Amino acid sequence: MPRHDAIIIGAGHNGLVCAAYLARAGRKVLVLERRERIGGAAVTEEVFPGFRFSVFSYVVSLLRPEIIRDLELPRHGLHILPLESTLTPLPDSDYLIQWNDHDQNRRELARHSLRDAEAYEEFGLMLHQMARAVKPLLAMAPPDPTSLSFREWNAMARLRRYLGDLKKEHFHRLTKLLTMSSADFLDEWFETEALKATKSASGIIGTLAGPRSPGTAYVLLHHYMGELDGVFRAWGFARGGNGSVSAAIAAAAQAAGAEIRTSSPVSQILVKWGRARGVVLENGEEIKAKVVVSGADPRRTFMQLVGEKHLPAAFVESIQRFRFRGSSAKVNLALGELPDFTCLPGRGLHLRGAISISPSVAYLERAYDEAKYGEPSREPYMDIVIPSLLDPEMAPAGKHVMSIFVQYAPYHVNGGWTDARREALGDAVVNTLSQYAPNLKNAILHRQVITPADIERIVGLAEGNIFQGELSLQQMFFLRPVPAWAKYRTPIRGLYQCGAGTHPGGGVMGASGRNAALRILGTG
Amino acid sequence: MNRAIVIGGGSDALVAAQTLARAGREVIVIEGRTAGLDEGWVPPKVLRELKIKGFGLEWPDPWLTVPLPDGGRLELWRDMARSVESIGRLSARDAGRWPDFCQRMARLARYLEALYAAPPPDPLSARFALRARRLGRLGLTELLRILPMPVADLLDDWFESDALKGALGAAGVLHLLQGPRSGGTAFRFLHHHVGCPPGVFRPPRSNILELLHRLPRVELQGTGVRRIAVRAGAVTGAVLQDGRELEASLVVSSADPRRSLLELVEPGWLDPEFVRALRHVRRRGVAARLRVQLDRSPGFASLALAPSLDYLERAYDDAKHGRVSRAPYVEARCDAQHRLEVLVQYAPYGVDCSGLLDRVAEMLVEHWGEAQAQHAELATPRQLEEFEGWPEGQPHHAELSLDQALWMRPLPELARYATPIRGLWLCGPAMHPGAGIAGAAGFNCAHAILGR
Repeated sequence: MPRHDAIIIGAGHNGLVCAAYLARAGRKVLVLERRERIGGAAVTEEVFPGFRFSVFSYVVSLLRPEIIRDLELPRHGLHILPLESTLTPLPDSDYLIQWNDHDQNRRELARHSLRDAEAYEEFGLMLHQMARAVKPLLAMAPPDPTSLSFREWNAMARLRRYLGDLKKEHFHRLTKLLTMSSADFLDEWFETEALKATKSASGIIGTLAGPRSPGTAYVLLHHYMGELDGVFRAWGFARGGNGSVSAAIAAAAQAAGAEIRTSSPVSQILVKWGRARGVVLENGEEIKAKVVVSGADPRRTFMQLVGEKHLPAAFVESIQRFRFRGSSAKVNLALGELPDFTCLPGRGLHLRGAISISPSVAYLERAYDEAKYGEPSREPYMDIVIPSLLDPEMAPAGKHVMSIFVQYAPYHVNGGWTDARREALGDAVVNTLSQYAPNLKNAILHRQVITPADIERIVGLAEGNIFQGELSLQQMFFLRPVPAWAKYRTPIRGLYQCGAGTHPGGGVMGASGRNAALRILGTG
Repeated sequence: MNRAIVIGGGSDALVAAQTLARAGREVIVIEGRTAGLDEGWVPPKVLRELKIKGFGLEWPDPWLTVPLPDGGRLELWRDMARSVESIGRLSARDAGRWPDFCQRMARLARYLEALYAAPPPDPLSARFALRARRLGRLGLTELLRILPMPVADLLDDWFESDALKGALGAAGVLHLLQGPRSGGTAFRFLHHHVGCPPGVFRPPRSNILELLHRLPRVELQGTGVRRIAVRAGAVTGAVLQDGRELEASLVVSSADPRRSLLELVEPGWLDPEFVRALRHVRRRGVAARLRVQLDRSPGFASLALAPSLDYLERAYDDAKHGRVSRAPYVEARCDAQHRLEVLVQYAPYGVDCSGLLDRVAEMLVEHWGEAQAQHAELATPRQLEEFEGWPEGQPHHAELSLDQALWMRPLPELARYATPIRGLWLCGPAMHPGAGIAGAAGFNCAHAILGR
């Protein structure tokens, strides 16, 4: 008899969420983590003495509220500090700043375009309705419209009824959102370039596509859902960095009895007679369990840990064509002083929010143009936060940390990623940003540049894709990661997946982990 | 007053007119400018109902010739074995995969064919769900997976040869302001495959327009329409270019929806929200047309200059940033009289195209051997708008992208061919299925009018 009911591979946030749900249901759970620390891509590390960074993922907003409630995460140390604004500095020393505060936002938008200020109200309402319409889809295993089983047919009929209850125009909007490009979609609403660019930027995050490529509008909605549930209205920053999100979930799992072992890389999933029996660690240790749940990405799970020989050929083919193509990098800066933006000098509230380098849609498209032929953008899109302003413990007194999400930095870069390439990317980021905040160069004490190749090497995400696989329409819902195997199950009995490579995927959301756990428990 | 006026002389308009006439309506067709590009595949159902005999589709054979950098040629034939042989010279792996690829694409295109011979489905109806299921599980999964894909991803999954992928990928971006790496272009690739035999990925030409003109029963008028008369929210007739007024209780327009509803109808009858949505229908023309008269055969029937997917993508990059492609995608078809009709993409609407004629001629001249050009004439999208009546030079009237297809073509409010004005119906290429599928929109529209 195995000692464990379930082994979970990888202590990323999804693995931990899955472990917590299983443990709370009374299962004996063992979580195995390759690295010496838990968290996967949601970690806080002291990269330079005194300077602590959310090294990879850096904001929270999509974390499902039901998970926060069920696992009582605030009791386990989760504390979210909201980001109140998004500043888009412009090349002509003007700026656009979007505020969470409704009136403030309206006033600022009106400064650029009265029409946009008015359209914004309706736009917000519309997206809110769309997000509400899609939200139930996130908490369920995606129904498969192609299946002939009674159960699936019923689930689809429920979904159809549900969608049928939407107002017709909402349903049409939804289908448009699924199929349009974010730029086209926003063109229908707004005229201010900076507004369109900053909004459409959320449609391209983590995907090797430009804002004019159809299919990017949905990702815009995917990111908007964070602004929904009243638990936190907007994007937020976890006190102590994103590692504290992982720590809180881990604490909840451990409190429920789950065991977590770090520095325990799994080398193989044991399969016998088409059933998962347990895992083998790299040091040769064999651990048996009734169920194995992989939080690793689909490629690693199936091609490395399970092995082709245990899988049907068609399934292997589908995994092979599942697309990763990491396209983003991260630059973490330790700063001696705050950046001083030409467009908004001094230390204002604007620095406490997000800062987005996205002056126009054409700017984003130009950045993409270089990436699709295998070069990092010379002037990339950047999403920046300064966590030390919200949580002073992230940096020594008077000093600051700056977290820069950079796109595009393609995984498949011409000639491969080298140290020289990595530093050139860092230089491009600093140079571009210095055009808006000239004091930045002299303020930098330390710089850490993380390329997609680094993400793959350190965290284990295939091709450095932050979503464990592109969030494009052909890889979503019942097609994620493989048609007919989108419900966290796999062709190997007793082997489940719980990573972001499954529906709904992406962001520090935890939905995949929760849905997988419910599936395993037979209640979802 | 039971008279119907049909606006336009294209295949959609004529099919609508014939179908209405067969149901006993008095029909007058106001031909105006005849729109081109509607000589393609016609759903068999249309031919059967209108009892059209002698219908024929034609492709050049080889249907595509692609010059290779080393001086050779890739030739794609209707005969699959000959294509395999030609592809085999580039890549044995690709040649081995060709038959399987062709069969799979043909099967997927047949699903679209079935969708195109009927009004757009209601995606929420159980009937649609049942019908979709009849495609079989694998087929439906494959279709849903492929439709939103970039055509580049689809082709990368199958092939390695740049020349082959470039030649096929071009079918995914034909007349579209997107590159092969844009989402939804795989749908376009399949769309243009509808009606083709397996292994042919270019839309055919047909004699449908000529056959339709030969049918009796409807009165044809050479003039155009100046205005559609509306009283109390209902159509009362049309005012012609020559000043005549015709009374009618039914007007069926194959002009593009924006022209039909915003230009031909006096303002004030439509809801402002609807007008706004209509103005957002995308219809950006992207291709110029070059016609060249040669003195002898150029040695090819159909030639494509799109050496790789990256080449196409770079051509699109220029267009995306508002320029004519420095190295455009060029496709030339030659007829028996040695007349070349050349598609030049991307030449966005309203952008300065000076110098394009010389550049394209230079690209082509090395491929037509001994032949001499006697006459060459380039029509930019703006000129095509003027000559052919294509809005913004877009022959499909509304871009066929996933968000403007099926029950969203061209707008959800118009997808059933009826308009907010009683008695005014739409049947042109902007309506489902449109975009190169000849006559089907007219057929579906007439059936909707007749309440069938």
